[in-house]
Amino acid sequence: MTERTEVALGRRQPARAGLLRPRPTQLWQLELRGTLARRRALIIKLAFPLVLVIPLVTTGAPPFFAGMLLTVLIAMVGTVGTGVTVTRARGSGWLDRLAVLPLPAWRVGLELFLAGWLVDCLQATLVVVVIAVAERPDPATLFTTWLMALAALACSGAIGLGIAALTDHAGEAMLYLAVVLAPVLFLSGLFTGVPAEGLRYWVAQVLPFSYLDEGFQLLLGGNPPYGDPLGFLIAAAVFLAVALAATAALGRAILARAA
Amino acid sequence: MSDPSLTNPWLAADGLSRRYRNGRGVGPVCLTVGPGEVLALVGPNGSGKTTLLRCLATRTSPDSGQLLWFGQDDRAAARSKLAVVFDATAHADELSTRQNLAFFATARKVATELWEPALEAAAVAELGQDPLYRLSYGMRRRVLLAEALVGDPPLLLLDEPTLGLDVSGRQWLAEALRARARLGLATCISTNDTDFVEQVSTRVCFLVDGEAVRDAPLADLLAELGGTREIQLSFRGPAPTALVRAVPGVERAAAAEGGLLILARQREGLIPEILATLGDLDAHLVDLKVRDPGLADCFLKLTGRALHD
Repeated sequence: MTERTEVALGRRQPARAGLLRPRPTQLWQLELRGTLARRRALIIKLAFPLVLVIPLVTTGAPPFFAGMLLTVLIAMVGTVGTGVTVTRARGSGWLDRLAVLPLPAWRVGLELFLAGWLVDCLQATLVVVVIAVAERPDPATLFTTWLMALAALACSGAIGLGIAALTDHAGEAMLYLAVVLAPVLFLSGLFTGVPAEGLRYWVAQVLPFSYLDEGFQLLLGGNPPYGDPLGFLIAAAVFLAVALAATAALGRAILARAA
Repeated sequence: MSDPSLTNPWLAADGLSRRYRNGRGVGPVCLTVGPGEVLALVGPNGSGKTTLLRCLATRTSPDSGQLLWFGQDDRAAARSKLAVVFDATAHADELSTRQNLAFFATARKVATELWEPALEAAAVAELGQDPLYRLSYGMRRRVLLAEALVGDPPLLLLDEPTLGLDVSGRQWLAEALRARARLGLATCISTNDTDFVEQVSTRVCFLVDGEAVRDAPLADLLAELGGTREIQLSFRGPAPTALVRAVPGVERAAAAEGGLLILARQREGLIPEILATLGDLDAHLVDLKVRDPGLADCFLKLTGRALHD
């Protein structure tokens, strides 16, 4: 006889263990717990950056290429994770349900983003830890690059949210992401480096991926032209603030689509 | 006017219209839902029920017209007083019933002590620790409804509420909606499940092609059918609708659910005459049912169309 049958027959009390555990009362908690509960998907998600970073650091890949690949990885993780998740949430009717709750749209946008960003941060942290162990870099550079990775993830998450406000289909979201990310990464100097002056120089200064690329190159023994820990620190704080403001602002657009 | 639901409606739509590019949608519609009322939006598929409900639920903005919730044109304020169930059973599927309920109840500021009774009333408390993806569709619908019913929201809007529910689920929901009405709370449901509407609603609004063709108390609608009978005929082959309409006493006849739905004045010899008409045609009759008319027959009488075609 199964436990449930016994409970139904009144022979055993239903399990109330869950009553003792704190329940998710905020959207970001609910979303984060949902992600953590998908164990297999979580393991693959965490293993994904490792299968890229471990070969790069153990085989002594040129810092320019390694930095580029890791920056592309961070950009993809943030945009795809958030963009596809939110697009699917709309398709399943989840956003419909959230939209009629007495929660402000900015908060829904921010909390949807936050849950994904926290897991993304774990992925980025694993990358930085592997580099720290393998390369023993300068702690200040390591710390500021890690912060920049988190800020870049936030910015790419905001881009993902913006794209989720444009389409209802996860496959279409992937195409939009590629179309948006490719020029952004090019302008960040990932493929050709950043020129010392001119418009492209200034454009690169306002893109987090240019800083992150330089940070990774520094950590991996490269010598990029503009590496500066203090500048990284300030830029990371600004990018993070901009990303959070953008996600809050995008909340209304995300909920309004297909309303 | 002495009826408080008319003098002080909690939900009022005036000239509300929402049309899509293909011309479908709803409106212009005028309706009200007052305290203690259960308004049923009834109509065939594509009649605009769901679009109207989405507007009333603050989810969709109307193209034109005015919508007031509790006397105010303030969507954000309205959301703190309403609960909505759409047709999708979207949840955080990896989490348990209790965890999902905790989130929705907290968002609506429902006291914690009310959570568990809501699950017990919906008969899903025993499954409270199971992840939702393990539950059947019907059980997930129960959870969805429990999340909306918890805390007795002043205004409850349900799209196809009986979808996926078994007999006991329908009984539970019907009793819950009747209890809400007794408490003076307002409910609006969108459905073409006329048996359920007859159990729970106080007022019915019939929608056809996006327009409200009749809005009246349920009792008035059913009273208009006095002295008539509903005759359901099932055929193997096409239904001879036009010939049956010519039989004296037949008020309406329309193709419905693989047969013919007839609304006719009760009189001696009616059924044999209808059967004789069919006999002339050599139509292959496989089933015949006669019963007291219901809400579906009101719709047939009003529009000449079957609700379930």
